[in-house]
Amino acid sequence: MTNTFTLRLRSAEQGTSRGTPWLVSLRWRQASVGYFFLVPLFAGLIVFRFYAFGYNVWLSFTKAGAFGPPRFIGLDNYRRLLSDSQAVIALYNTVKFAAIAVPGVVVVSLLCALLMQYRFRGETAFRAIVFLPAVCLPTAIILVFGWLFQTQYGLVNAAIHAIGATPISWFGNETSVTVVVSIIFVYLSFSVPAIILYAGMQDIPTDVYEAAMLDGAGAMRRFFSITLPLLTPSLFFVILTTTIGTFKLFDAVYLLLPPVEHSVSTNYGMTLVYYYYYLAFFDTGQRGYAAAVSLFLLVLILAASIFLLRLQHRFVHYGEDG
Amino acid sequence: MLTQYRVRWWTYPVVFGLGFVILAPFAWMVATALMSTSQTLQVPPNLIPSPVTLDGVREVFDRLPFAILLFNTVIVSIGRVVGTLIVCSMAAYALAIIKVPGARAILIVVLVLIMVPSDIFIIPSYSIITWLRLTDTLVALALPSLFDVFGVFLLYQFFRGVPRELIEAARMDGASHLRILVTIVVPVARSGIISLAILTTLAEWKELLWPIVVNRSIEKMTLGPGLALLRGEYTTDWNVLMAAGVLAALPMIVIFLILQKRFIASFARSGLK
Repeated sequence: MTNTFTLRLRSAEQGTSRGTPWLVSLRWRQASVGYFFLVPLFAGLIVFRFYAFGYNVWLSFTKAGAFGPPRFIGLDNYRRLLSDSQAVIALYNTVKFAAIAVPGVVVVSLLCALLMQYRFRGETAFRAIVFLPAVCLPTAIILVFGWLFQTQYGLVNAAIHAIGATPISWFGNETSVTVVVSIIFVYLSFSVPAIILYAGMQDIPTDVYEAAMLDGAGAMRRFFSITLPLLTPSLFFVILTTTIGTFKLFDAVYLLLPPVEHSVSTNYGMTLVYYYYYLAFFDTGQRGYAAAVSLFLLVLILAASIFLLRLQHRFVHYGEDG
Repeated sequence: MLTQYRVRWWTYPVVFGLGFVILAPFAWMVATALMSTSQTLQVPPNLIPSPVTLDGVREVFDRLPFAILLFNTVIVSIGRVVGTLIVCSMAAYALAIIKVPGARAILIVVLVLIMVPSDIFIIPSYSIITWLRLTDTLVALALPSLFDVFGVFLLYQFFRGVPRELIEAARMDGASHLRILVTIVVPVARSGIISLAILTTLAEWKELLWPIVVNRSIEKMTLGPGLALLRGEYTTDWNVLMAAGVLAALPMIVIFLILQKRFIASFARSGLK
């Protein structure tokens, strides 16, 4: 090992004048510098993750209003969570957006990744366009979509009117809100998955395709029998990160359906993050109950991650030597 | 590769179609920004503003402290990038190069924490920031995100690739670990550092929930949440909103177009295995 070799060299230079075994003391000194380097990270993690988590758990057992110290109320917040119709709506919306937007992101990013494989004229421009949504301010994009889908003067309804159909009140019912929010989510999130899938496709050896062509497999067959199975590690990563992304969906629903009062239309897009934001910071400051809702979302995210990781072991193809 | 992905007759229509769909919202944002309010309220709508007017743009500066918002965004982004780089590179050095005892266990903690989004912690983080008397400050916007476990893992992977001999040689010359980190490891692993800087900047530009929770006054806001406030107050002046959107989105788009290769490489690296 070069490591011990250098240590021995160093000790030869310095001599072993002190009584302690030189190797141990040197290792320890190395390690203490290392731990010192970890101090900033761990100081921050202890405050903003571990303490924050503990505090959140404690808050979830209390009634914490805008004024006065939190008061311990045991499991009341969790009991309330079980019978809270608003929480059911938020959970339903969160899962619904994930169920629609995740496949949407996978399909669009897969299409982009495939197109990026082709050497056509203007491919640099195409690449820049694919990444534009990822570098643009999401607030600006969400507001544009709000404008496009505006009921009276929006471009989408104008187009619907032009082909003779009845314009839709896009923010007036649950189905159309789901459509708009899903479109926005896919638009804002397909870029990074596209480059990850592109990189994954680059790793697939060319000779596999050549062998398949010799056997007479068509382009479609090659895509479904070679590209997709060999892409499963990247696909899996994209599905996992996108699922977590949809579970914490907030910006689009908050901007499109602002928390005016207990309005019906806000419910069409109320997600779990939106709900605990609303409870803790917009409503009368029900921080205790909001903490319980946020922990419920954490459990949901961890459960989904573990479920997907288990699926990965069954379906993901890692190659013979990987 | 060449045989599997040969340009066919359908390639160009698909590329053009997709490119159009992606660009259309941007085009409509720019077009609306150049209209007057009455032009935006026409039925059926005009696709091209005529006459072109900068009323909306002017109105943005009347209604929003746009320069302050932009300044805040730049300051907070720089602060967050510098802070994140210091915290993450020190930690990654301890884990990848010194390999402190227990490094594996620490890495597992880091990987588990990557799975937990920070949005879960807004309620306790807000309490901590209040306790530190930092609400309504620019520091509050960046502070909780400096301890970026993803950044630690990204740099860990890059630092592991730094040739061992370089570090051993510097140690023989009596260089301290801090010196080795700054003069050898960071320059050698600079593409990782640049990637983390780009991804952190973008993350800051995309924040919405945390800023609106922790800061109330518009003078301490960044561009994204600042725009959100404009939306709340003037719902009908779409030309003003779109002008603000164009102005706010433009700086990052320009930076992206200049550093396109770096950005794309950074996105690719966010998909670590």
